[in-house]
Amino acid sequence: MIRAVIDIIVSIAAGFYTTGRHLFVRPVTESYPEYKRPLPARSRARIILTRDPEGRERCVACYLCSGVCPVNCISMQAAEDSQGRRYAAWFRINFGRCIYCGLCEQACPTSAIQLTPDFEHIRRDILDMVFEKQDLLVDLCGKDPDYDFYQHAGVVVGLAGKGDHISENPPVNTRTNMP
Amino acid sequence: MPKLIIDNREIEVPEGTKVIKAAEKLGIYIPRFCFHHALGAVGACRVCAVKFQEGPVDGVQMSCMIDAQDGMKVSTADPEAADFRRSVIEWLMLNHPHDCPVCDEGGHCLLQDLTVAGGHGIRRSKGRKRTYTDQYLGPLVYHEMNRCIQCYRCVRFYREYSGYSDLGVTGIAGRVYFGRLREGILESPFAGNLIDICPTGVYTDRPSRYTGRRWDFERTPGVCIHCSLGCRTTVSARYRQVVRVEGRFSQQVNRDFICDRGRYGFYYADRPGRPRNGRINGQTVSAQQAVEEARDRLQRITQEHGPEAVGIIGSARSSLQTLSALVHLCHTTGWQGPVFRNTWIAGAAADAAVRALSPENAFSMREIETADAILAVGADPVNEAPMLALAMRQAQRTGAEIIAIDPRPLDWPFDFAHLACRAEEMEETLASAAERLSASRRPVVICGTEITDDGIVMQAADLVAGLRGSDKRAGLFCTMPQANSFGAALLDESNACAADLADRIETGQIRALAVFESDLWHVFPDRSRLSTALEKLDLLVSVDFLDTPLFENADIGIPSLTVFEAGGIYVNQEGRAQQVRPAHTGGLPIAAAGLGDHPPRSFSPDVPGRDMPAAWAAAFSLSGQAPPETDAQMTAWMRDNFAVLADLAHMEADGVRLFAGRKVSIPDEAQIPEKKPDQFLELLPAPTIFGGEPMSGHSQCLRELAGLPAVWMARADADRLGIADDDRVSLGFENIEVTLNVRISDPMAQGVLVVYRHPDIDWQPAPDGKRIFISEDQIRRIEKA
Repeated sequence: MIRAVIDIIVSIAAGFYTTGRHLFVRPVTESYPEYKRPLPARSRARIILTRDPEGRERCVACYLCSGVCPVNCISMQAAEDSQGRRYAAWFRINFGRCIYCGLCEQACPTSAIQLTPDFEHIRRDILDMVFEKQDLLVDLCGKDPDYDFYQHAGVVVGLAGKGDHISENPPVNTRTNMP
Repeated sequence: MPKLIIDNREIEVPEGTKVIKAAEKLGIYIPRFCFHHALGAVGACRVCAVKFQEGPVDGVQMSCMIDAQDGMKVSTADPEAADFRRSVIEWLMLNHPHDCPVCDEGGHCLLQDLTVAGGHGIRRSKGRKRTYTDQYLGPLVYHEMNRCIQCYRCVRFYREYSGYSDLGVTGIAGRVYFGRLREGILESPFAGNLIDICPTGVYTDRPSRYTGRRWDFERTPGVCIHCSLGCRTTVSARYRQVVRVEGRFSQQVNRDFICDRGRYGFYYADRPGRPRNGRINGQTVSAQQAVEEARDRLQRITQEHGPEAVGIIGSARSSLQTLSALVHLCHTTGWQGPVFRNTWIAGAAADAAVRALSPENAFSMREIETADAILAVGADPVNEAPMLALAMRQAQRTGAEIIAIDPRPLDWPFDFAHLACRAEEMEETLASAAERLSASRRPVVICGTEITDDGIVMQAADLVAGLRGSDKRAGLFCTMPQANSFGAALLDESNACAADLADRIETGQIRALAVFESDLWHVFPDRSRLSTALEKLDLLVSVDFLDTPLFENADIGIPSLTVFEAGGIYVNQEGRAQQVRPAHTGGLPIAAAGLGDHPPRSFSPDVPGRDMPAAWAAAFSLSGQAPPETDAQMTAWMRDNFAVLADLAHMEADGVRLFAGRKVSIPDEAQIPEKKPDQFLELLPAPTIFGGEPMSGHSQCLRELAGLPAVWMARADADRLGIADDDRVSLGFENIEVTLNVRISDPMAQGVLVVYRHPDIDWQPAPDGKRIFISEDQIRRIEKA
């Protein structure tokens, strides 16, 4: 009986000791939102559509991100502008469904779609989680800041003529038999 | 029959089979770019390399170039062959641009597939890429030569298979170029097949450029309804809209390819002006309200004036479901009709053709390809049934002699003898030309039904019967005016035409008219008579998926579903009933719902614009009956109610052949066409490939190709009248005055003016069954300004 009482007292004291000890130790808690920890650049949260170094939309609406998306949260419609440039007439990401897996970013051949560390974009209305192109488009290059897809693609979209893009020979003359 | 071993499995194949085909029979797919089963082998791409381990051939060789022989032992997976193929891909990619994301071929690109399959991912070459300048090839095909891998498929199809010569190959060595000598519109009406046949993205679809990737499309097997051949298609739909139509292989009908009318004629289905709401006296209502209002008002007229006061008109562009529902509608209500004969020239010829065709003498296009002599009477396949021209071209390539008897100028992609004659001389010419078939073993007589009369069709059928009697494998092939002309003739009991109904409207017998998927303004000969007749009506109901003038002017307009939304059964000109499945669910396309921008930001389980009925369902509702609920129930209902359709139960992949054998109907008396008076020219309206039928004229890209409306005349006539090529003339007849450009042709009948139908020609110089003659002084040459 006495032994049992001693056991109880000891265990309570041990508990209070553990708790009381932390009164004298610096806390590890970060008090969010007063303090916001800087996240690594590769953390995956809110998705953006970036622009090329000249400020043009990078997205060519190739449907690879929507094709690879495991939850089908990306939809778009490609279109062609007067210069022949392919772009997204509309581009929609349903963040209510997005799992931030980053496959879209991996699939993107033009570095247009990128995941950012900004995870704070919860909305109270589910429809506000559906982002349209104007909500996604930003005015910077993000990762891969020097890449301009159309300088490598070889199709004429008003930037340069055939043979004037990076790593291209001038158009061949098909009317000569000279070697 | 040589026996060989491929990948340790033995197979016996017919003499002359290439190893690549023998492997295919075993289910082994050897990679290929240049080899195509319709075009044969040239050995240009080097990617079908396999290792010959034993037998008459030794080492790594191209499997498409070597005939299967006895004792061969072939390995497709041998490291040496696999390495070879891998290198081929890598060197093909040396100059291939880095533009897959903006290339429409991406997703169904053979080069992309094989590059991924071969494991080539990282470019090793540091060299610069070769580039080419591209050409504008017209409104249908987009050219991007940088992507070319020199497989020669395009020129082999274009020049050899389809017989046109304006696309070819120039340059040598690393500068080989595929294109036209000068930039310009491709002349072939089969140019769209370049898109299907190109293993990469050199030729891509221009009208549907950048609309989507193949993996996003709902792809449904379809049947083309732009002519009577019923070619197989694959319909790609996305976001409740048809975006692309491609050819689908069919053993008996079109084989691999389709014509450009079938490929690009579908834009009527989703254009902005298409009726999607009901109309009552000009007021927009829901489709359901329009159906109910029409039903109530038709019943009121029936009660007041008897069932004879209501007339029903249908057309051969409707599905078999709609046609049979209309017959049933008139049976149960006692209404007049249904009248299906509202084509330009009376349906008598098509009717005669349906009676003449039997399981023995009806040939398919497949059998035309193997014919050794072809006699075409009053048929212009390029304009009436384009894929038939391609089948005839295949026969001609294997040595068939082709004879054409026709008044029109014929522009066919193969050599043929043109016996130009007028309608009244046709019978005689046919009789004399028949002798030229005597040396053949597999002759085919092709008979048109649009500019001929029933007498010619019966004469052609007699000729075939005679040839069969003298131990030849002879066949008859009739082209017909519309997709379901055969089906309409099977079900047509009244043999009446729209003019008969007009008589009864004028006498006041008919007080209400319901017109299903037909535009009377387009097919009725006499416009002023039609408009006064229609004004006399108490009620005009139009059920259509096109915004025709009749639909606009009807008291009640009911929008109906297109073939892409409702599906249906269509019977082609050889009696082959083919099932079409709906390509998408219907309703307002997303692009229209979002007004071009993103789709509406709202959640709703309802699809806007989905309350439109199929035309057959509307036909049931007009008599107050509940239509069968599902397509399967509807097909079963058709089988049970119509003896001629009982065979629909045996529908297979290649369709089912229906014949009029059981139909007890006495053929009309064959009429000898009235002779052309002297000093008069016959005005012959003729079908044309682009925009010549009601639907394809709504495709913007095909309208561009239709050119300007023109009148064609023989050189002798033009010289006599003092008219030169490219002049403008004004024709005045029957209170109509039209101005047309003149085209002069040498091999065409004298004394005939041919006017091809054109979307911009809105007059109908084709009184039903009657011929039109205009005197020489009614043709006035207009001085150029």
